[in-house]
Amino acid sequence: MTSSAVPYNLNEIGKFFLLSGVWLGIIFGAVWAACWAVGMLVPQLILNAYPNDPCALNVANAIRLLTPLVGVMVFIPINAMYMVLAERRGLALFTVRKGPNRVGPDGFLQTAADAVKLLFKENINPHGGDVLMFTLAPIIFFAPSVFGAIPLLAAVTSNHDLFKIVNLPTGIFYVLAMSSIPVVGIVMGGWASNNKYSLVGGLRSAAQAISYEIPLVLAIITTCFLVGSLDVVNIAQMQKGTDNLASFGFLNWNFFGAGAIPHYLDLLMQGKLEGAQVVTSAFWSLALAFCCILLCGIYLTGACAEINRIPFDLPEAESELVSGYNTEYSGIRFAIFFLAEFTNLFIVSTVAVVMWFGGGATPFPGFLDANTFASIATPFNQALAQAGLPPLMDGQTMSGAFWAIFKTYALVYFAILVRGTLPRFRIDQLLDFGWKKLIPLSLILLLAVTYIRELV
Amino acid sequence: MGDLSELATLASKHMETWLFYLVALITVPFAFGVLLDRNIIRAGFLLIGVFGGISALFLLLQAQFLAMAQLMIYAVGITLVVVIALMLTNPRMEEDKSPSIPAQKAPAALVGTLLFIALYMAILSEGWGNNSEALSPDNITIIGYSLLTHYALPFEFASILLLIALVGAVMLAKHDHFNSKADIDEIEEETKEISERNEHVVKV
Amino acid sequence: MWSKSSSVVVAYVAVISFLVCAYMCGYLTPLFAGMNIHSDYNLCCTALILVLGALAYLMGAGLPAVMITGSLGAFIALSWGQEPLIRYLTLSALLFTIGVYGMTTSRNAVRVLMSIELMLNAVNINLVAFSRYVDPGFVRGQIFAIFILTVAAAEAAVGLAIVLAIYRNAQTVDMEKFNLLKW
Repeated sequence: MTSSAVPYNLNEIGKFFLLSGVWLGIIFGAVWAACWAVGMLVPQLILNAYPNDPCALNVANAIRLLTPLVGVMVFIPINAMYMVLAERRGLALFTVRKGPNRVGPDGFLQTAADAVKLLFKENINPHGGDVLMFTLAPIIFFAPSVFGAIPLLAAVTSNHDLFKIVNLPTGIFYVLAMSSIPVVGIVMGGWASNNKYSLVGGLRSAAQAISYEIPLVLAIITTCFLVGSLDVVNIAQMQKGTDNLASFGFLNWNFFGAGAIPHYLDLLMQGKLEGAQVVTSAFWSLALAFCCILLCGIYLTGACAEINRIPFDLPEAESELVSGYNTEYSGIRFAIFFLAEFTNLFIVSTVAVVMWFGGGATPFPGFLDANTFASIATPFNQALAQAGLPPLMDGQTMSGAFWAIFKTYALVYFAILVRGTLPRFRIDQLLDFGWKKLIPLSLILLLAVTYIRELV
Repeated sequence: MGDLSELATLASKHMETWLFYLVALITVPFAFGVLLDRNIIRAGFLLIGVFGGISALFLLLQAQFLAMAQLMIYAVGITLVVVIALMLTNPRMEEDKSPSIPAQKAPAALVGTLLFIALYMAILSEGWGNNSEALSPDNITIIGYSLLTHYALPFEFASILLLIALVGAVMLAKHDHFNSKADIDEIEEETKEISERNEHVVKV
Repeated sequence: MWSKSSSVVVAYVAVISFLVCAYMCGYLTPLFAGMNIHSDYNLCCTALILVLGALAYLMGAGLPAVMITGSLGAFIALSWGQEPLIRYLTLSALLFTIGVYGMTTSRNAVRVLMSIELMLNAVNINLVAFSRYVDPGFVRGQIFAIFILTVAAAEAAVGLAIVLAIYRNAQTVDMEKFNLLKW
């Protein structure tokens, strides 16, 4: 039996990668085309049509300002469609099943069909519920994830001109503030459903979000201490590795102590360390790297709880609460809840990538970096230039976007793996873990990092 | 791409007034809703609107840090705590027949109007040394610097206050189980008395 | 089809909107100029709105609608055309007054706490407006506002815990029924 299961599963893994590749290509292409059209093509057409007209210039600039929003708006639905499919197929892999494989070629279009089905379902208002709050809840749950993610766009596109405008001075703090809002939507929806399971789900979500937000924020703040900046673009660019040993590739990421290890290696190679310094310096750099890895772990745990993923999905624990806060939802309102859940997963992964995994930087210097992408882009741009159109892509932005998306999806797959592996917490275990273990640990790490930073 | 930021500043100059009035027109009805909505739990949720509007006002005043803190602490934290307290103290989810005490409505409205007029007169009578130069965009740095230098002592006091409030709130809200020995003795005596009485009744 | 109170409300809202729009466009100035009261047009317009509000209330309009419309109209009349700082201070005064009204009239103890939060927020608007328009170099107002935020959070936690404790003992949070100390 086992001998036949192994090649069968390999086959499925291959199919999974094919599916992911095709879908990621669709997502990347669609978002890129939309941003190009709104940010470059339409303004240029307007300016060509009305040259030397100040009003046309203003209109063109206003359209250019909309680029980040359009990019996000195009990205979110397609991305959620892919992520649902990836999650179902990935879970099927872990449990040696096939997963959805009927709609379209090998199940490629399963979630498109699901989306159509959800949009055409009837919207049901529960009896005795508060209709206004019931309708507002999905919107409050969803809207912050659209607007909260926007500063990250500047970070992952290497501060491209079109996205520079969304790089706020409060940076990561804005993202955190926005990501704390959705829980209000859950509590609101739970209460407005007039259903005890929904209400319990909503209250659980509130307790969980409030208690796990503290370690999450502390982990991010500690990393900001270490880097000395709140600006997401700044944080991402500081982690950019070079081929020098002093800031080598992926070793320069915040995940490995914000450059402590390559700095130590560099000093060691140059022979600047003497006697006991070799050991103490190595100890402190390794300690800082260890602290950073722990911080990243705390962040990922807290983020899991914040967005109600398994093993922290108590608000919608189906074996206890039917479906938790969204029990009474149907049709497009349920679709919005669903969309927002997956978008939130993507956003917390992006935050982790920007904060710890180097944003859009390549892990190995020279491997698929700006030059490679520039050489890919040149023929396209030349062809477009002959047609009198603006250039489609530039190497630096392309490389940044590619690596950021690659790393983010790696984290998303990790979340799917966790979902396939771990059982659900009990509510008292969950609160215990948050208040008695994660919060003290993150406070200790805050102290340790501020102390060790001076020693490295 | 310098035109982009130019456009943004131009727009903000003309838009600020309109945005201010837009936010005010949204915030004030929400504030009244908090006081007058018959459904007390919905009134709690309306607080989010008020706090969100005030956060938008902070953004208009270029206090980004405070706007975000307002959103995180008030619009989410405090509102959730208030809503949960409302649910706990109103387990049957009844609607208030009259959210305000009738006898106090008219005097309070009168006092409120007079207070508002008095405040407005006071605001107008003062010649504010107006200084409308833009705040430096990195005022978050200035805030952080001053909090840890000039205002270090109040900052520490604030942390102690928060700690005390945390412990105090937990102690106050904790359900009293029968912890002390005196309580347990009392209950035992009562049950003994009741059972004796019952025996007596049964005998009769 | 229309009940009397709702028709009065609609009429009141329409009249106030018309008044405010006319005031914003400057058409009301000659009207008040004829009245010759220190040329404080904004105060005259506010007084008009208040009188109309009292009339509407006496004619049977609901109190919430009258209060919301009247206060918004008065706010716009008082702040239109003023300097930005005064606009913000007026809004803050309005929110503070709403908080005072709620604190004195609310029946539910938690609602009283919400009103207090409203008042604290109004004060915060004041301070942030000062830090923007009076001393932009050092953001002292914002720092003060941060401390108020901290104290408000502590106040909310302790206040709600007290309300819960009272609820456990008295089975009610009605402000009129906490009269244990009455003789």
